[in-house]
Amino acid sequence: MITEKNTESGCNCSAGVPTREEINSVVERVVESTGKGSDKVILILQEVQKELNWLPSDALKHICEITDITPGQISGVSTFYSQFRHLPSGRHTVKICAGTACHVKGAPLIIDAFKRELHISEERNASPDNLFSIEEVACLGCCTLAPVVQIDEKTYGHVKPTDARNVLDDFLNNSKKKGTVNTAGDPEKWDAEIRVGIGSCCVAGGSREILDEIAEMKEKYDLNIKLKPVGCVGVCNQTPLLEIVENSDMKARYTNVHRGQVEEIILKHVRPSTFKNRLRSRINDLVDSVISDDKVYSQINLPVEKREKYLNNFLGYQVHLATVNSGVLSPDSLEEYRMTGGFQAIHKCLRILSAKEIIEAISGSGLRGRGGAGFPTGKKWEISHAAQGSPKYVVCNGDEGDPGAFMDRMLLESFPYRVIEGMMIAAFATGASKGIFYIRAEYPLAVSRVRKAINDCYENKLLGKDILGTGFSFDAEIFEGAGAFVCGEETALIASLEGKRGTPHLRPPYPAVKGYRGKPTLVNNVETLSLVPWIINNGADAFSRIGTDRSKGTKVFALAGKISKGGLIEVPMGITIRDIIEKIGDGIAGGRKFKAVQIGGPSGGCIPASEADIPIDYEKLAEMGAMMGSGGMVVLDDSDCMVDMAKYFLTFTHRQSCGKCTFCRIGTKQMLDIITRISEGKAAISDLDELEKLSLYVKDGSLCGLGKTAPNPVLTGLRYFREEYEAHTKGICPAGKCQHLIKYFVTEDCTGCTKCSQDCPVNAIPFTPYERHLIDQELCTKCDNCRIVCPENAIKIIGTNA
Amino acid sequence: MLKIKIDNKEYSVKDGSYLIEAIRSAGHPVPTLCHRDGIEHYSSCMVCMVKDIKKSSYIPSCSALVQDGMEIDVSGTDVKNLRSKALELLFSEHRAECEAPCRIVCPAGYNIPEFNRLIASGDSERAREITAGELKGKTIMCIRCPGYCENGCRRKKVDQPVAIRNMKLFIAASVEGAIPDPSDPVMNEPLPKTGRSGRRFSSLIGKLEPGEQEEWLKECAGEIIRSREISNLRVAAGEAASCMHCDCRAAGDCRLRDLAEEFGIRDPKGKLIYSPIRKKINFQTGLVFENAKCIKCGLCVRVCEDDGKEEPRLCFLNRGFVSIISESLTGRFEDILQKQADKVIEVCPTGALSRFKPGQE
Repeated sequence: MITEKNTESGCNCSAGVPTREEINSVVERVVESTGKGSDKVILILQEVQKELNWLPSDALKHICEITDITPGQISGVSTFYSQFRHLPSGRHTVKICAGTACHVKGAPLIIDAFKRELHISEERNASPDNLFSIEEVACLGCCTLAPVVQIDEKTYGHVKPTDARNVLDDFLNNSKKKGTVNTAGDPEKWDAEIRVGIGSCCVAGGSREILDEIAEMKEKYDLNIKLKPVGCVGVCNQTPLLEIVENSDMKARYTNVHRGQVEEIILKHVRPSTFKNRLRSRINDLVDSVISDDKVYSQINLPVEKREKYLNNFLGYQVHLATVNSGVLSPDSLEEYRMTGGFQAIHKCLRILSAKEIIEAISGSGLRGRGGAGFPTGKKWEISHAAQGSPKYVVCNGDEGDPGAFMDRMLLESFPYRVIEGMMIAAFATGASKGIFYIRAEYPLAVSRVRKAINDCYENKLLGKDILGTGFSFDAEIFEGAGAFVCGEETALIASLEGKRGTPHLRPPYPAVKGYRGKPTLVNNVETLSLVPWIINNGADAFSRIGTDRSKGTKVFALAGKISKGGLIEVPMGITIRDIIEKIGDGIAGGRKFKAVQIGGPSGGCIPASEADIPIDYEKLAEMGAMMGSGGMVVLDDSDCMVDMAKYFLTFTHRQSCGKCTFCRIGTKQMLDIITRISEGKAAISDLDELEKLSLYVKDGSLCGLGKTAPNPVLTGLRYFREEYEAHTKGICPAGKCQHLIKYFVTEDCTGCTKCSQDCPVNAIPFTPYERHLIDQELCTKCDNCRIVCPENAIKIIGTNA
Repeated sequence: MLKIKIDNKEYSVKDGSYLIEAIRSAGHPVPTLCHRDGIEHYSSCMVCMVKDIKKSSYIPSCSALVQDGMEIDVSGTDVKNLRSKALELLFSEHRAECEAPCRIVCPAGYNIPEFNRLIASGDSERAREITAGELKGKTIMCIRCPGYCENGCRRKKVDQPVAIRNMKLFIAASVEGAIPDPSDPVMNEPLPKTGRSGRRFSSLIGKLEPGEQEEWLKECAGEIIRSREISNLRVAAGEAASCMHCDCRAAGDCRLRDLAEEFGIRDPKGKLIYSPIRKKINFQTGLVFENAKCIKCGLCVRVCEDDGKEEPRLCFLNRGFVSIISESLTGRFEDILQKQADKVIEVCPTGALSRFKPGQE
């Protein structure tokens, strides 16, 4: 049923105000499927919002009427999590990533550009035609494609402020098309297997289109190929990635493939099966070479060594344990996971090892929690094993909210079976009978892959009652987080599972003793669980041989920022930061100077280039004032301002603070106020001392990890880059980043081409052809458009004092 | 039994007890705001922080379980500084006045709002008693004073100040010896400085945002006839009813204020603002909620936690710095806590939740 108002405006109910009856029937339908328990509140809200696009107060009222949920609970919960909307919004949501990598590549300017383009104001977050709303999200996890914009399910990478209109148009033109991919081939004898990455980064880079294209070609030329979507390879900045395997030794990889190249690449390796088709391809080729000379220079014709050198370097220094078989395994094939040794570890555990032996192996391996704090995993399992209470739970913490980190997303997307296996082993070792995957809602692909994997496991008797006939029973399900960074903290995560506001509480009691529903609950990070099968298969010693004294094994990092070759990497502990940046990442992009690396996201710190020779190790990083965190590694160059970085992270932690304890709630606000003053050139030198003192109080006084580590970016900034802070108090931003301290200036190189004038959204540049342009500083919003479009590089950023 | 060292002295403590209990029974007072015996602990205010010496970290004693072998510092300088910082932070968003502006500027420190309320409710006898008590046998200072109180009166910014001076003089006329003879040498004595020396700590409100001034008008229910000249008690009662109750209802019973005095806190100059001052008053149940005074300790939410769906009550809204205590999104303030208003007013450590008493006020 649609209200009159809606039919008038010509859009469906998702953008307007639904009637009471409509709302009630949606709510009733949802509650029917979810159940009435008060712990279901988040799920119910998510499902209702899916249908109505927002949460009208009548919906909340009706939910309370027909379930055990109280009005207080539903109000508290629905306003705590960022996912829930209490005002109608546009039909499509433009999600603009404000993660670290996107921030350093200009996300704030992108946000401004879309707001301008869609006429979005403070009062109303919807375009006048109700088609679009804007949402700033903490991180979409496509850091290597920064800056990233996602409209509904479609992702756009490397967006420039001048692209806003194009992106919206492209979305409107293409949103109707939806291809299905036929991946089947003749299993007996393919001429080649074509592997296409379908991790989020690859999809964002256009790999779905590539898949479509290959499927079309397959039909057209009747190719005998197997088209195989594979999980993340980690080369996320060069997406989409195409790999052609002709036989076990012959592999060819192409990065940055675009649709137009597909045909050529495939035909280079695979012969069409019939003469007619062969002829067709030959002629096409001929025509192409006549009408275009692009081909000559494209990477397709580069010699193999040159084409693959980068990949070999990128992959050569890595050690794949959690990500073993990356780029080979199809993420949604249980069969393949099994064929490559999957589920052998759980077999071994169920049939040969005792719980005690498993825990000993994990303890002996030296594995520590990969979520950030580095608590010894074996120790946690031991506590959980010894804890009294039934049933026991295992929770996989996939609430990776750290802006600039996406390794958990990649592991869940690419190796869902491995994470499940890890969880099963943990469950068997600790005596748990129920597992919950807590995955953040911003990772829809991860959710659907894990959901499919769980279903496959049930079908194959790998989950459920009496698994593999051993008498061990274990159930697993998914819980979708609703957008709260603080829920990465295990006690807050459990509160969230129980349908409460995600506020942490003081430990002890540890969740391992008293957790979900008051029962012993083992909470392990995604990456930690992914390493478990490897350790069981290869032995504790093999694992502990890798790494340093106190940090064993490997760590997955999301390498992004101003690096030439970013991506998802798994490296042995103990590798130096410099090796990661120079060898794996191939140095700084654009020939700029390496300034610092931000490790550990909002809880971590900036380590200056001069200290880049330190080995990666939990203790060493802590000593430096940074933190392993969940493994975001954002590389900064000399155009990045340390004050701006600290302000960025503080804004994030301040917004994500749950608000429970005084120091985090008010302390981070005061810190943010001071640092904002600094970035605007309004602070005195004494403010730096005040900021430092306050930071130390917040560190000491906060209740949980979020508040205790929130000052780290500021403290490391003051420790390693104090002179930069001091410069700001004098009104100078040495990196030319802080908007209040810079202006745009047209140099003598200007030819008067008027491009800047045309692209200026606020008419701050008069249209003066063939004359040197002038920027009206009063009107200028520093959107950077003019500098991007200037063909002569005649627009420079200078200090306001200059 | 667990062994624990508190300020270097060893104690035996029952397993499962909280640090705060152990520390208090060892004879050390522990300040708290968000904690109440019998209500689930929450660790919000962080003024009960102590130092875990072995771990070299600070923990809220109200929610920390005693662990064997703990060594706790409860009175060191670090601990005091941290507690005092917590209070300072709380005050930085506590946009509230313990005392009304009129009283703060009054050179004699007379309790003007209370006097006004008594006059308005027709209890002139009690108003006279208060006045007499404040004079302590001396003459009334108003006669020599230009009326600083009326200059400070918040009502002045809305329409015109309450005629405090004239009312005070009208009542003082019935107190023997209160009005001096014009030839009395006291008439030439200078007024004391309007400093607040010797008086209690008073938090300040900071700059008012547009529209906030009018919130106080909600305190003056009913029809009011204004008059500058006070000729009789009826006129006085009418004028006194225009007093907007700027003083805090919890002025004499505020744990935050007590702690500010104990720790010697100075009220921060700039106040953090995220939401405007709003006075919510339920004239039926007498429940008053002033969000700007709230320290988000959540006691009012927790004290009703086990009541199920019995009656609508208070809850938390939003997250982080912008979180507030409120009625639910689906209900009205007028409908909440019909039966249990007293319970939440009693646990509130500040004046955020208090009682509106018609007739007396």
